[in-house]
Amino acid sequence: MNNPFRKDLESRSRPEACTVVIFGATGDLTHRKLIPALYNLQVEGSLPAGVKIIGFARRPKTDEEFHHGLEAINKKVSRSGHDDAIWAEYAQNIQYHQSEFQDPDGYARLAQRLDEIDTERGGNGHRLYYIASAPEYFEDILANLREAGINRNENGFWSRVIVEKPFGTDFPTAKHLNKIVSKTFRERDTYRIDHYLGKETAQNIMVLRFANAIFEPLWNNRCIEQIQITCSENLGMEGGRGGYYDQSGALRDMVQNHLLQLLSLVAMEPPTDLSADGVRDEKVKVLRSLRQWDTPDLVAENVVRAQYIAGHVDGEKVVGYREEDRVDPESMTESYVALRVLVDTWRWSGVPFYVRMGKQLPKKATEISIHFKEPPTVLFNALSGGVPGGNVLVIRIQPDEGISLRMVSKIPGSSLRMEPVKMDFHYATSFGKRSPEAYERLLLDSMAGDATLFARRDEVEEAWKFIDHIEHAWHESDAPPAMSEYVAGTWGPKAADDLLTKHGHKWRRL
Amino acid sequence: MMSELLDTEYAMALGKEVSIADVDKELHLLWEEDKARTNASLINLAVYSEQQGAILKNSERVQIITREHACRAILIGVDRDEPEASIRAWITAHCHLADGRKSVCCEQIAFQLTGKATGRLRNTVFAHLNSDLPLVFWWQGQLSSLFSERLYSLIDRFIFDSSEWPDPLASYACIEKAMKDVESLVTMDVEWMRSSQIRMAIAGLFDDPMAMNALEHTRELRVVVHPDHRIAGLQLLAWVIQRTGWSRSRELPLGTDHGDTFYLETSEGADVLATLEVDPLSAPIGMMEFKSPGCEVRVTREAGSAYLHQELEAGSHRIDRCAPANSDDAAELVMNQLSRGGNNSLYLAVIPDFLSLLGGEIDCGGASKGV
Repeated sequence: MNNPFRKDLESRSRPEACTVVIFGATGDLTHRKLIPALYNLQVEGSLPAGVKIIGFARRPKTDEEFHHGLEAINKKVSRSGHDDAIWAEYAQNIQYHQSEFQDPDGYARLAQRLDEIDTERGGNGHRLYYIASAPEYFEDILANLREAGINRNENGFWSRVIVEKPFGTDFPTAKHLNKIVSKTFRERDTYRIDHYLGKETAQNIMVLRFANAIFEPLWNNRCIEQIQITCSENLGMEGGRGGYYDQSGALRDMVQNHLLQLLSLVAMEPPTDLSADGVRDEKVKVLRSLRQWDTPDLVAENVVRAQYIAGHVDGEKVVGYREEDRVDPESMTESYVALRVLVDTWRWSGVPFYVRMGKQLPKKATEISIHFKEPPTVLFNALSGGVPGGNVLVIRIQPDEGISLRMVSKIPGSSLRMEPVKMDFHYATSFGKRSPEAYERLLLDSMAGDATLFARRDEVEEAWKFIDHIEHAWHESDAPPAMSEYVAGTWGPKAADDLLTKHGHKWRRL
Repeated sequence: MMSELLDTEYAMALGKEVSIADVDKELHLLWEEDKARTNASLINLAVYSEQQGAILKNSERVQIITREHACRAILIGVDRDEPEASIRAWITAHCHLADGRKSVCCEQIAFQLTGKATGRLRNTVFAHLNSDLPLVFWWQGQLSSLFSERLYSLIDRFIFDSSEWPDPLASYACIEKAMKDVESLVTMDVEWMRSSQIRMAIAGLFDDPMAMNALEHTRELRVVVHPDHRIAGLQLLAWVIQRTGWSRSRELPLGTDHGDTFYLETSEGADVLATLEVDPLSAPIGMMEFKSPGCEVRVTREAGSAYLHQELEAGSHRIDRCAPANSDDAAELVMNQLSRGGNNSLYLAVIPDFLSLLGGEIDCGGASKGV
């Protein structure tokens, strides 16, 4: 029987009370993102009553020690501040469970704990497993959950799993991981998290496109010249990230998941409905339509990779990538990548999508810019300078979330001179209320069984197929495309500028 | 006529006094004075009151609302008893730091209309709306003859507080008429917003399977409210009736100072005794409780507390936790309501049961008959 009081109370699917088991509970993700996200949901009254949290990790700790560590970080990072009274109540529902990830006995004890919680609840309960551990433990965790029999959906009570990135390191490993996951959880109970999709502006892409009649008629190769997706970071390998990053690189760490997801949202056809599969069906069609750069020559022509060398960022001197802590001094891992992507569909034929991601760039920003074709200049071609550039619609994902539209306007005066002007919408200015953290939205969605903002198996695999060709060309071919260099604090290598220049385009200045 | 002292008080709260003809020109000058500020506006927010001096308080309220809702605010103070017809106007801006960096400001125009000049409300005041932006109109106090089709046909969202109405039946009748006349008009009752967190908390407790199983076995339903918020209590009871599909079996028209009692019937035909109690020491809504054999579900709030207390007791199974309470401040409630958007479908669905609990016949333009 459904809870009648929930109906129409909120315009979202109803999250259900469950026990959340977090694997890797002593890690940074748990402390900085997951626990504060659940705490903020509790503060706002959005967390269903009766949610229990079990932190599963290897280090020996008491519940009190675990709470103490979580509280200290929550005080620093919680979006809504930290209230001792609310925390005390919240922490009552958090337990620590010490076990090796490979130890079946630890899972048997976990099963017992879950049963005890369910008994307190008066019967069975829902379970949400969050795998926030290092990727090498995914397989052990999933297998042990299955062995312990705590992965089942029984009597209307669900068990779901959230898997953090990286979801594989290439197509075969992703496929293998999907196979492992599917042995333990059904696809509809598997939530591959991509926190970019939980961001307000990413969610707004569909609203912008499909709730405004003015954009969709222009959203095609007749009106759009090119599209750029940029993710720039002004950080390097701080906090010991070098070890992980050097095994991954910009392409696998950011492009395979976050940036291709954004590209899918921009390029997809209107879904038939807003159901999870309705949206994901259209996104996966975009990924299937990506032209494959499947030879080293095509990769060299359409993809640029680079590493930063010593320079200055935010006025501070920084070392080069190969001098970073835990990075191989002879590393061939890219800290910057720029790609020319073609989507072979009727709508996008001939429109390049330029995607770039880099570390130690001048500032932190993620944005999508839609560059419209220039108008025929028959009226204004006699003027000196002509028309100064076409219209550009910019969707800023982070920070300073918002949307701007560049257009051309006449400069006041007796002569006819034109300059580009910008119509600018800032979330922070227009909506004073701060957006929830991406993890808050995504955790609630997983409790509600709404997978719209999570990647489906075929999306992940299609994205890897595209990425793998490039990785193979770089690391396994006889004549790998060159690795460029850029000075830290600049906007990337010259080769990335050339990638666009040869097609008559240039990177948007951020 | 306003005294000099009052003039100073108005100027401090409402800004620079300007002539009606120069409002737009003066607003431009206001922005030219400081280029560092960003003028933001997503809605026109008109705040109307016929209570003397309310315009000053409303300027403070707009300051709060603009923290989250960038708007052009238009304050309207009306004094129809003043013999002299006059219209005065003031302009100012409410500024906030967005993300600690940018100063984001919202314009405010305040109009004070007296005597026969109140008839010029529509022409004078609404000439200063930001074009294309929706008009949200917050009417404070009992609806008066100024609430007519000529006025509400301009409005997109109409906010009122039914707890301020001495004759709620008559006023509700006027609201119903307005909604029939203008189909696109969205109405928002601040009194209904007062119970939003209680409703969330109740819904949260009934997510629990044990509470849910006990719902149809409820025998007692109890709501405690402050005497000023009997309407909120009746709305809560109506919400339960509407959501559960229960019906009213017979009524005890007690209607005494101690509250109201209603007999309800569950869909399985069992009786539920529903009581609405008023307590002068209560928070606006102090408690809502469902009792069935073996299960009690309760949400309580102490007067002045920022938290609700959610309790579920079913044998050894207990839930006992805090949840955020609604603010008691009208501006904060309006702010929350503006954040929700939508057409208030739940409220509209609850209205028929609420009016039935309120009792009597409704008639816009005349006093209500009955309770």
